[in-house]
Amino acid sequence: MKKTYGWLSAFALILLLVLAGCSDSGKEGSAEGSGGDGKKAVKEGNDLVIAVADNFTTLDPHDTNDTLSNSAEKTMMEGLLGFDENMNVIPLLAEEYDANDEATEFTFKLRENVKFHDGTPFNAEAVKVNFDRLADPDSGLKRHSLFALIQSTEVISDYEVKFTLSEPFGAMINTFAHPAALIHSPKALEEYGKDVGKHPVGTGPFKFVEWKPSEGLKIEKNTDYWNEGYPKVDAITFKPVSENGSRIAMLQTGEADFIYPVPTEQVEGVNGKNGIEVESKPSIVVRYMAMNTMKEPYNDIKVRQALNYAIDKDAFIKVVMNGQGEKLDSVIAPDVQFYSKQELYDFNLEKAKELLKEAGVKEGMKAKLWGGNSSSTVKAMEFLQQQLAAVGFDVEVVPMESGTLSDKIWSVQNADDAELELYYGGWSPSTGDADWGIRPLVGGEDAFPPKSYNVSYYDNDEVNKLISAGLQTANEDDRAKAYEDVQKLIWDDAPWVFLSADNTLAGKKNYLKGVYLLPDGSLSVSEAEIE
Amino acid sequence: MLRFLGKRLLQVIPILILVSIFIFLFVHMIPGDPARLVAGEDATIEDVEMVRKELGLDKPVTEQYFTYMKNLFKGDFGNSLKTNRSVSYEIGERFMPTFWLTVWSMLWAVAVGLFIGVVSATKRNKWQDYLGMFGAVSGLSLPSFWLGLMLIQLFAVTLGWLPSGGMESWKSYILPAFTLGTGVAAVVARFTRSSLMDVLKEDYIRTGRSKGLNERKITWGHGLRNALIPVVTMTGLQFGFLLGGSVVIESVFSWPGLGKLLIDSVAYRDYPVIQAEMLIFALEFILINLVVDLLYGVLNPQIRYE
Repeated sequence: MKKTYGWLSAFALILLLVLAGCSDSGKEGSAEGSGGDGKKAVKEGNDLVIAVADNFTTLDPHDTNDTLSNSAEKTMMEGLLGFDENMNVIPLLAEEYDANDEATEFTFKLRENVKFHDGTPFNAEAVKVNFDRLADPDSGLKRHSLFALIQSTEVISDYEVKFTLSEPFGAMINTFAHPAALIHSPKALEEYGKDVGKHPVGTGPFKFVEWKPSEGLKIEKNTDYWNEGYPKVDAITFKPVSENGSRIAMLQTGEADFIYPVPTEQVEGVNGKNGIEVESKPSIVVRYMAMNTMKEPYNDIKVRQALNYAIDKDAFIKVVMNGQGEKLDSVIAPDVQFYSKQELYDFNLEKAKELLKEAGVKEGMKAKLWGGNSSSTVKAMEFLQQQLAAVGFDVEVVPMESGTLSDKIWSVQNADDAELELYYGGWSPSTGDADWGIRPLVGGEDAFPPKSYNVSYYDNDEVNKLISAGLQTANEDDRAKAYEDVQKLIWDDAPWVFLSADNTLAGKKNYLKGVYLLPDGSLSVSEAEIE
Repeated sequence: MLRFLGKRLLQVIPILILVSIFIFLFVHMIPGDPARLVAGEDATIEDVEMVRKELGLDKPVTEQYFTYMKNLFKGDFGNSLKTNRSVSYEIGERFMPTFWLTVWSMLWAVAVGLFIGVVSATKRNKWQDYLGMFGAVSGLSLPSFWLGLMLIQLFAVTLGWLPSGGMESWKSYILPAFTLGTGVAAVVARFTRSSLMDVLKEDYIRTGRSKGLNERKITWGHGLRNALIPVVTMTGLQFGFLLGGSVVIESVFSWPGLGKLLIDSVAYRDYPVIQAEMLIFALEFILINLVVDLLYGVLNPQIRYE
């Protein structure tokens, strides 16, 4: 029986080791993030591994509705326009563009001598093929609605193309910069049709190698890339790693060079250790609590303003976001085009109580707060529940699984029947334009569920007029003016409790340069470089 | 014996048909609109309706059901609503990794569990017993995601011996198989211990002892063989559960398995994927039950197949 003791003691030893590992990492958690050990990590080879939170759904940008898949597509494909680090529109495959004042005609001059990965030349014809595909109402593509207004795409010459819209749409330039407008090789479209999402061919800095849904995506350097000197890395592998802790471990072990997202609560623990840097940047994601403005007592502006005064946003950001966010000071975040800063509703319980009293709201006012069921969302809702208790609201938090929640919100055909009272949510206007940050959320009756996302059932004639004024022209100054007024109106009218604008968080090894997240949460790797 | 096998395998067909009907109804009863979920977070109503049409979800449920059954008999599970790949591909991608992970986890778990169980039963209330049972209770009560993350921290981050996740080489199996097996090993150990203790009280064991058979032969030969019946049943069940994939393990170790696929497909209301996975699970359990029944006969020749 000697063997027995050996086995058992080995087992006990393993158990002890595991427990030791646990107490070790427990200590690390309390370390100071800012100090760090200043070590420079070392990298062998010129291939990158990027760990992401989920699987890609498709690699056809025209049929993609998640930012993660867009990030992968942007490595291989390019649009006429794109966004820089601050969500400003920049030219990519177009060198310049022009719009008429009515915002119905948009003309692009294209970059010359660009080739798709399959050797097909990039020209006006290729652009036309792509946008005809997107604008076709029978295409069945998930991003068709962004381009449904395109009435015709004309080839003026080899390198000039003109789009004509069926009605004015001032935000169209940003729509052209949206990742949905990336351009496929016309040859690939012809060859693969609907299956082009498994065989992406573009003009981008990287070429498609292989994609297995469970193992990830491999791409390699496009040696003929039009932008001289780029890309500076040979290959990139994207790996889906859904568990936050495992993503961080991969960065620690060097199995990954860049990971995102980094959970807010882990930033302190890893930043500045083992050559890891966590980059925190402002995003265009806004967090809000919507109030159903057609329901008592939220149909009273005083109540809506009172709740804005009743919530301590500093505490919200500290407690719920672990400090990774900014107070929201308009209906859209600062990096969204035509943003205009408003004067904050300061945390003021006295004022909140006074307003509620004037509105005739009694102590013990019952309310249901709906939201998703992820742990961070529930944390946020519980925070709001506690804060509102201080002004006499008895809030019940109702977390729901995503499918159930969407059913509850979007199966309502008639606004009067909506059960929704309070809703905690977030929004990221993927075109980076004020219109997409405002119209779907507070754009009057046209945006009521199930048509769109106006869960406040907010319908203000003046706001609606200004929203359409903002779309009637391509003139930047006129648009800016319209959106400035609209933001002021919405702010004062307070259909939401305005909470925060998130930060994006990514972790990287400190030898890596030029990989960053844009405010819309998508990734840019074209300038990736190992130092 | 062969007749028994044939009969049992024929019984599978009606069960699977019943299961498929039940699953279809069940899946369509879950609240949530796949068209909206697939269309994405900022889709307009036009997008949602287009997706609905594209996926054939605008047709009446009865028509959808007949299409589903018709394709099923052709061996076609349809396409995933979320990724538009064929369901066979989505499941095929993940089936083997899940299968092998299950096999390796079960192998070590059953070996170690049996061993600890036997030692604990024969050394009842001695330190070996206490240690073994302490180990088993720990194995049961350590949350597997915590254990997994700790093992990653220790063997991947600190020592750098093993990969922290993914499925690249044989090394990738070690940590997930260990984590997945701990709970099973603990259950096997406890089952074996209590079952063997009962058996060792039996008359025939006393007879054996009085005949002067040595203790080891009694325990491992006569005792264990009879004690194994409940252990085999339980192991079969565990095997079935693990074949369904473990969401926790797959998330922690970024393992391409069936568990996370199921969770994701439920979140998206990806009907075809949910249905196919459920059918496969049902089939797995039926086959495992059959194997368990056959094993009974091996362990106890008195059991007859009728």
